[in-house]
Amino acid sequence: MAALRLWRWRCRALLSRPAGALRARRGLAAGPEMHFGFQTVTEEERREKIYQVFENVAKKYDVMNDSMTLGIHRVWKDILVHKMNPCPGTLLLDVAGGTGDIAFRFINYVRSVRQRQLQRKLRHHQNLSWQEIFESYQNDKFNNSLGDSQVVVCDINREMLKVGKQKAQHLGYSEGLSWVLGNAEELPFDDDKFDVYTIAFGIRNVTRIDLALQEAYRVLKPGGRFLCLEFSHVSNPLVSRLYDLYSFQVIPVLGEVIAGDWRSYQYLVESIRQFPPQEELKAMIEDAGFFKVDYENLNFGIVAIHSGFKL
Amino acid sequence: MAAAGGLRRAGWRLWRARRAVVRCQQYPPLRALQASAALRAASDEHKKEPWASSSQQHFESPPAGHQPEEKPQGPHPSYTGQGGQESEDYESEEQLQHRILTAALEFVPEHGWTAEAIAEGAKTLGLSVAAAGLFHSDGSELILHFVSDCNTKLTELLKKEQKLVQLGEAEKKPIDEFLRDAVEARLRMLIPYIEKWPQALSVLLLPRNIPSSLSLLTSMIDDIWHYAGDQSTDFNWYTRRAVLTAIYNTTELVMMQDSSPGFEDTWRFLENRVADAMAMSNTATQVQSTGEAVVQGLMGAAVTVSNAGTCRAVTAELLLNVSICFPPKSREQHGKTVIFHNLDLFKGDFLGSLRLVHCFVVEELEKSIRKLSLKLQGEL
Repeated sequence: MAALRLWRWRCRALLSRPAGALRARRGLAAGPEMHFGFQTVTEEERREKIYQVFENVAKKYDVMNDSMTLGIHRVWKDILVHKMNPCPGTLLLDVAGGTGDIAFRFINYVRSVRQRQLQRKLRHHQNLSWQEIFESYQNDKFNNSLGDSQVVVCDINREMLKVGKQKAQHLGYSEGLSWVLGNAEELPFDDDKFDVYTIAFGIRNVTRIDLALQEAYRVLKPGGRFLCLEFSHVSNPLVSRLYDLYSFQVIPVLGEVIAGDWRSYQYLVESIRQFPPQEELKAMIEDAGFFKVDYENLNFGIVAIHSGFKL
Repeated sequence: MAAAGGLRRAGWRLWRARRAVVRCQQYPPLRALQASAALRAASDEHKKEPWASSSQQHFESPPAGHQPEEKPQGPHPSYTGQGGQESEDYESEEQLQHRILTAALEFVPEHGWTAEAIAEGAKTLGLSVAAAGLFHSDGSELILHFVSDCNTKLTELLKKEQKLVQLGEAEKKPIDEFLRDAVEARLRMLIPYIEKWPQALSVLLLPRNIPSSLSLLTSMIDDIWHYAGDQSTDFNWYTRRAVLTAIYNTTELVMMQDSSPGFEDTWRFLENRVADAMAMSNTATQVQSTGEAVVQGLMGAAVTVSNAGTCRAVTAELLLNVSICFPPKSREQHGKTVIFHNLDLFKGDFLGSLRLVHCFVVEELEKSIRKLSLKLQGEL
């Protein structure tokens, strides 16, 4: 059934492909053909298609995430932020973080760390003289509940950012948060600006992963950390079979039922299969110049967190 | 289905070929730690040097996770910096980590032995605070680094003294005085961090860190005995090390609760213990007490390792250490139990509560260490 649908889709894609003009303009030796799920399309097309996919799913993105992963995506994102272990004063750039999941978790984490810090300071203050306490109040360090940490959420898709802003307003996150429209392959930021760069479930949709990694290297401060949370390759055969079954049979159906968009979720599942496995991605990250690149498999490799440092 | 698989494979091969072509054409990234090197040298000329030979190597060899620290030591074209001198700004990750940890030590009295101190240390080196992610989040690498540093310093000190004795400029000290001075010198290195040292000890006793902390401890004790002139090859070797380990550990515990000026009480305690040990070695019960000492030491290690992470095991280990030093009749006074409190693990964020449990274990260990050292002080 799925194979038949696949053939139909591919025929449609072949018919609607534009003339070779786009290809000629590119001028690269190996040709501009890329994968869009199991299709082969040009770069420009791929960008457009992905933009449309996320435009369509933006409003139901969170609901679909919950239903597809049975809520486990929250744990994955929690683990990512715990691995980051940010201290107050960290500048985070969350790329492809449209609806702001990582950003909100980061803010919560930093707030609780800051509270513990302040509590410790107060305990310490019980032994100080009045002069010292007076001086510390002068320093004005007590006012900032986030300790100068900031998050910049960058996404290429306007709809996703809109949904994210609404969510932030609804949940009451206001300080330390900014929303920027930008392309991961060409970030609108200066060099050496951010402490941590995260990209959660977004690098799969980037057309040129190597460019995105180079941009990540560029905007990070020396000592900065690159973290990437993404669906990856399952090596365990039993789990792999169950996972494939679930992905191809259940998820597109859920997409149709809940979001009314079967095709986007078919794309999602296929793009996961097309994405390079853990070791490949690790090599790509090392190529971009990062050091101490490592990955951690979550759930047998269904999801992997890659981490690298700009040293 | 097979056709789909074939198409996928073809697409992937095209993607890889394209990537390889693109990589060849791009500017190849420098493999050395140029970011940190640039910060240290503060010069711009080093950044854009093309590595023609290494880029070729890069394209041909498969990208199979090669270790970056091998590259700086491998053959590469050396470039000239300002003034035509050969630049030596390459350093491996290990050296950078050492530098960060050394810089972090000055923030320990304020932040404790935590990832925050490491983050502050990284900040002073000009790196981002995220560099603290290079290490584990409980600060154990910082403590181990500090301990091995102190051990190295102690070894150098002992070597210098030995050289003086060999040159005839100083007299050879009697063994008890030598041991006393060595342990005192080593413990004095803890004085700047004495407030947060119980926390460090409790982190060192966590099961993950026990192999490394134990090996550091035993190598230090071994060093001291070596410079004391111990050349025994019989069972005495074990006795002496076990006894000195017990002396060192208990003196350390006493020192943490000592509030006398210049830690006089600690040094007096140390003197008494060393005298006890000397007296013990001269009696006829030597073999029996050696056996007891070794068995108790081993039992302590076994108990700690098997009951991973409980305070009871840790205090048991410490008590066994203590009982080596004290005569039998006072042993009954040291019995105590530690109750591991129940925590409400489901207060929301599961991972956060795991972290809380970890902090709780560390704090409990710290508390029991403090209580124990208070008791030891009573026995002074």
